[in-house]
Amino acid sequence: MSGRAGDGRMADAVVVGAGMAGLTAGVRLAEAGLRVVTVAKGLGSLRLAPATVDILGYGPDRVDSPARALAAFVAAHPDHPYALVTPGVLAKSVNWLKERVNTYAYLGDPEVNMLLPTAVGVPRPSAVVPETMAGGDIRALKHVAIIGLRALKDFHPALVADNLRASAVSGGAAVEARSIMLNPPTGGEADVGTLAFGRRFEEAAFRSAVAAELRAALHDEQAVGMPAVLGFDHVGSVWTEFQEAVGRPVFEIPTIPPSVPGVRLARVLQERLRRAGGRFVLGAQAVGPELRSGKLVGVRIRTAARETVRAARSVVLATGGLASGGIEVDSRGAVRESVLGLPVWGRPSGAEPGFLPRYLDEHPMDSVGVRVDRRLRPVGPGGEPVHENLHAAGAVIGGARPWREKSGDGISLSTGYLAAGAILEDAE
Amino acid sequence: MRGFSTVLVERADLATGTTGRFHGLLHSGGRYVVKDPKAAQECLAENVALRRIAADSIEDTGGMFVTTPIDDPGYADQFVQACIATGIPVEEIPVAEALRREPRLNPQISRALVVPDATVDCWQVVWSTVRSAAEHGARIFPYHEVVKVTRDGSRVTGALVRGPGGDEVQIRAEVVISATGAWAGRIAAMAGCKVNVLPGKGIMVAMSHRLVNTVVNRCESPSDGDILVPIHTVSVIGTTDVQVADPDDWSISHAEIDQMLEAGENLVPGFRAARALRVWGGVRPLFQDDLPAQSRDVTRAHAVLDHSDRDGVERFLTIVGGKFCTFRLMAQDAVDAACTVLGTQRPCRTADEPLPDSADGRFYWMGSRLARREASLHDDQLICECELIQRGRLEDAMVQRGTANLDDIRRILRLGMGPCQGGFCTFRATGILHQAMKLSASEANRAMLEFLQERWKGVQPLLHGDQLRQAWLDNWIFQGVLDVEHLPGMAQTREHAPV
Amino acid sequence: MIDESLPGFIRGSLDHCVKCNICETACPVMNVTPLFPGPKYEGPQAERFRTPGASADDSIDYCSGCGICTLVCPQGVKVAEINSRARATMKQQRGIPLRDHLLARPSVEGRLATPLAPLANLALSNRGIRLLIEKTLRIHRQAPLPKFAGLTFQGWARRHQPPPTDDAVVYFHGCSTNYFQPELGVQAVAVLEHNGFRVLVPPQDCCGLPLQSNGIFDTARSYVSRLARNLAPYARQGYKIVATSTSCGLMLKREALEILGMEDDQDLRVVSEQTYDICEFLADLDEQGRLRSDFNSLPITVTYHAPCQQQSHLIGKPALDLLDLIPELKVIELDRACCGIAGTYGTKREKYDVAMQVGAGLFGDIRDAGPDLAVCDSETCRWQITHGTGRESVHPVEILHQAYGLGSRARRK
Repeated sequence: MSGRAGDGRMADAVVVGAGMAGLTAGVRLAEAGLRVVTVAKGLGSLRLAPATVDILGYGPDRVDSPARALAAFVAAHPDHPYALVTPGVLAKSVNWLKERVNTYAYLGDPEVNMLLPTAVGVPRPSAVVPETMAGGDIRALKHVAIIGLRALKDFHPALVADNLRASAVSGGAAVEARSIMLNPPTGGEADVGTLAFGRRFEEAAFRSAVAAELRAALHDEQAVGMPAVLGFDHVGSVWTEFQEAVGRPVFEIPTIPPSVPGVRLARVLQERLRRAGGRFVLGAQAVGPELRSGKLVGVRIRTAARETVRAARSVVLATGGLASGGIEVDSRGAVRESVLGLPVWGRPSGAEPGFLPRYLDEHPMDSVGVRVDRRLRPVGPGGEPVHENLHAAGAVIGGARPWREKSGDGISLSTGYLAAGAILEDAE
Repeated sequence: MRGFSTVLVERADLATGTTGRFHGLLHSGGRYVVKDPKAAQECLAENVALRRIAADSIEDTGGMFVTTPIDDPGYADQFVQACIATGIPVEEIPVAEALRREPRLNPQISRALVVPDATVDCWQVVWSTVRSAAEHGARIFPYHEVVKVTRDGSRVTGALVRGPGGDEVQIRAEVVISATGAWAGRIAAMAGCKVNVLPGKGIMVAMSHRLVNTVVNRCESPSDGDILVPIHTVSVIGTTDVQVADPDDWSISHAEIDQMLEAGENLVPGFRAARALRVWGGVRPLFQDDLPAQSRDVTRAHAVLDHSDRDGVERFLTIVGGKFCTFRLMAQDAVDAACTVLGTQRPCRTADEPLPDSADGRFYWMGSRLARREASLHDDQLICECELIQRGRLEDAMVQRGTANLDDIRRILRLGMGPCQGGFCTFRATGILHQAMKLSASEANRAMLEFLQERWKGVQPLLHGDQLRQAWLDNWIFQGVLDVEHLPGMAQTREHAPV
Repeated sequence: MIDESLPGFIRGSLDHCVKCNICETACPVMNVTPLFPGPKYEGPQAERFRTPGASADDSIDYCSGCGICTLVCPQGVKVAEINSRARATMKQQRGIPLRDHLLARPSVEGRLATPLAPLANLALSNRGIRLLIEKTLRIHRQAPLPKFAGLTFQGWARRHQPPPTDDAVVYFHGCSTNYFQPELGVQAVAVLEHNGFRVLVPPQDCCGLPLQSNGIFDTARSYVSRLARNLAPYARQGYKIVATSTSCGLMLKREALEILGMEDDQDLRVVSEQTYDICEFLADLDEQGRLRSDFNSLPITVTYHAPCQQQSHLIGKPALDLLDLIPELKVIELDRACCGIAGTYGTKREKYDVAMQVGAGLFGDIRDAGPDLAVCDSETCRWQITHGTGRESVHPVEILHQAYGLGSRARRK
């Protein structure tokens, strides 16, 4: 794609980070015609995630409708990133994503949470899910077979089935669930991971063999749940053909990392970025701001032999939180935002411990991150933006407990969408 | 082995008291050579004996005493003299050679003295010993807590123990030996006797990989944070010494942890930026008939107490004090005393007869798990990736131990003891446990949640840096993807999960 | 973050591993064969079990050294570097076959074979001789080996009169340009001169990369050391050093320092800071507004594959920005990880099939795209691409050269 020759090579936007938030912002900006450079120290966390778009599952009680629960949730958690987001924005960003994912379809919307079984058999609320998983909605399931693949150590169907049977869903009976262990042809390999199975399922002969064994083992179950390994870019046809061969609806259950559905989504978004002309600098770590007379003019990055500057009119910081190292804590307990040294909020003060003795407690450190204004610009202690042209998106923003709330994807998607929106407004 | 019918009871899993909570050092004796030469000599003799009988559990890492910038430069000569006097082999090497062997060592060290330290896997030794005992007819009952020492007048007749289900069992015995270490005072009190044990708490921090492959000691009189031990795949820095009143009730302070990290930084520059895995404490069973000024000054030698002389209670012995490396000698002395009580002299063979698995006299080699995995890359599944535990071994251990407790498995195989602290293997092991032990879902769920809690206990006090990133990824896995906090029957499980 | 100046920085980086498996999602070898258990296993995981002395590693031999694992790791683990070192230890212990010694020294072969080039090329394209070589040395009979050019780039450079301009750069040509494709060097010089640079070509030899990737570390160090000694005086004077062999450029920028542990070599440090991939250099010029944009139309279609080692420069894909400047040129950016050759890896009999499977996706994409030329910055990748697709493959500089109108490309036989 040409068209930008000789106009000065300063980017319109540098996006730091290639997770859900960074890719959303980057794609939105690039598709609007801006020159976008995405810098990522590695591949992002999408590849580890289930690829469901979890908007709000628990607040702390189970939420049936994220859209309707949003206002009350924000009122109870005024520092939460969702305070920046309206149900309208949620719906828009979800539709935006749905329109762009082309190797499979997303079903659902922020109005209603489905209840999908996890890989230990717990019904987990999720609003927008790949079509390959939606059939697992427990509210509609009566009698299901959960299958395992013998060489796959990351999926234990008996445990899933046992826990499903014990899960009472309000207003309904528990699910009838049985487990079946299949012996797919792995060429004698005893230890085959999700990624390898994902590739095998893209082979017609392999699919047929598995489907045949499964079909023979089924009784009168209405649906089949299986680990999410039904191919990568060809998941649509793989899933359809496999279902046909099995003769029942088949739904995928997301696994622990590496996540085949996560890789699917990551590839789709990265490809969208590329097609829209965005440049992706993989492996280069952003190490600091580039300032000229106090104004942010770009980001310093570490390349193989030296530091260079990626100059840009705007910067989007989508580096994630504690899990990805966007926020770091050293051995003395000092907390910092690792790229630009922005003020960090939410850390416990003085002698208060950051973590409590029980694993499932709500720990004070859970919600650390930067704080942003309504235009998603990180702010300092007085509430003023640190830089006019700096925006943040995703888990680097504090105030949430996403793995517990089941809100991570919703936060990343909506704040990434909004951050791009703010920059587009600036550009007009 | 001496032909007595024997029952062993332990209130929790074996070696969960002090034995399982030290750094794994098998002394050359160098640590005590200046201040406590008798203890040092005992250590050396036992070091040699253990190498003979428990080679499989021992890694011959060798050890070094180094003079760091904060150490008294004069101590080194004292140390050398004392080693020579007590017969501990010592060799001075040039600093450059020490740094060649251990590139991460502080380049500012001024002296380096090599001694025959080694490291020992305490659980492997304990279970090997127990296997041998069982082969000789002993019956072993972990998770059986003594609730009463039964007496008939002034004579002890046995003990009442409570099993894991809550049921109580009366055990009758001709003689009762209390080998309860820091808890010896409590057990003695049950029999109406007095044993003055001063529990001395020490903490240790495990770093996620071997920063050194040799045991590194500061060449200085014993003090806090003076040793860095490469044990299996981690390095352990220790330790502190704080007297506590109750061997079960103590806490780990931020200041102590910081002290250990600083101590590490003194030995290995860059230590604070390396990955601290977890912290734990152990309680030394320091025995003293008189009360000393500082618990470190108490002798580390052990003592066998015959309560008929001391307290007028017969058929009751306590073996107390000592260190891990003298365990065999302690047992020998205790059983010798029991022989006297029973009026029969039978010789001890434990100094010469190798434990099961150690018959070939080959020391443990760090690469063995890797070599084993390489040999079965295609035939078996790798369940705990950090510690290279394959499925076959895991299933065998579960069935042999007959346990639904993943922590019991952890102790014998090192499950969950690597950098991810169970992040990936907990889920897999739970699924396997569920099948192998035919557990109900709620039993399996409970096993998983309890293991998660147990792993959390050790990381929570010092979570930062890389380990914090790991813990957050683990949160995403267990809560974000698996949603374990909403497992059926969760409310009840939460109550049971120990803090 | 660990202080990079500390000894143990590479090994110590294993601390950053959280076992997320992202490296496994990207490893091109693991994705095609169970013979390689993967970068996470071989790198940060196995490293915890390695002590000086006996090596327990076997499967690490299948690591191709492409470096994609380090590239994609979001936590900063130096996976590929850990693997390289562990493999070298393993090979030292097990013994290094004659074949690896031969493959590791292209400059030696270049010097010996250049005067006999036609004969050497005839022999290497003879089926019978290749079969014999496969049986004795275990270099696969179909491995894409280059042809000796018969003249050297150094020879041309000695005779070439540079223009009397003030701006100068140093050209690090590498073995491949010198012995196999001197016209690439000629074109690179022309493009640089067109942009106002005098190109200096100091005496220089192999950077030692193939020695390093075959685990022959001591000799690799002496090669790098010598090369750095030759280039350092220029670097110290502030001259930039540009490389057309992107993998050799990376060797000087980073790999020799990190994998061979040569942080104390002051010559290498100063050379490293001044080394640029040629596309990086030209794209920077463009950013400063100093790149001549007098490109003719080039109405052809090309594919662009960024080799693993080009990506490891961590500069994005500057070749794409340069190709973007050429009117009417249609560029199809390919998305595949690796062509499979990984230097000398794919030429070995026991690894050839793995390499071809690794590259299969790329070959398919190129065939589907049906380009006039396949553009790629690394010479070994170009040979592999041509081998796998039948298409001609060129360095980005050759496209620029043609678009600048500096001469038509000599079609290679």
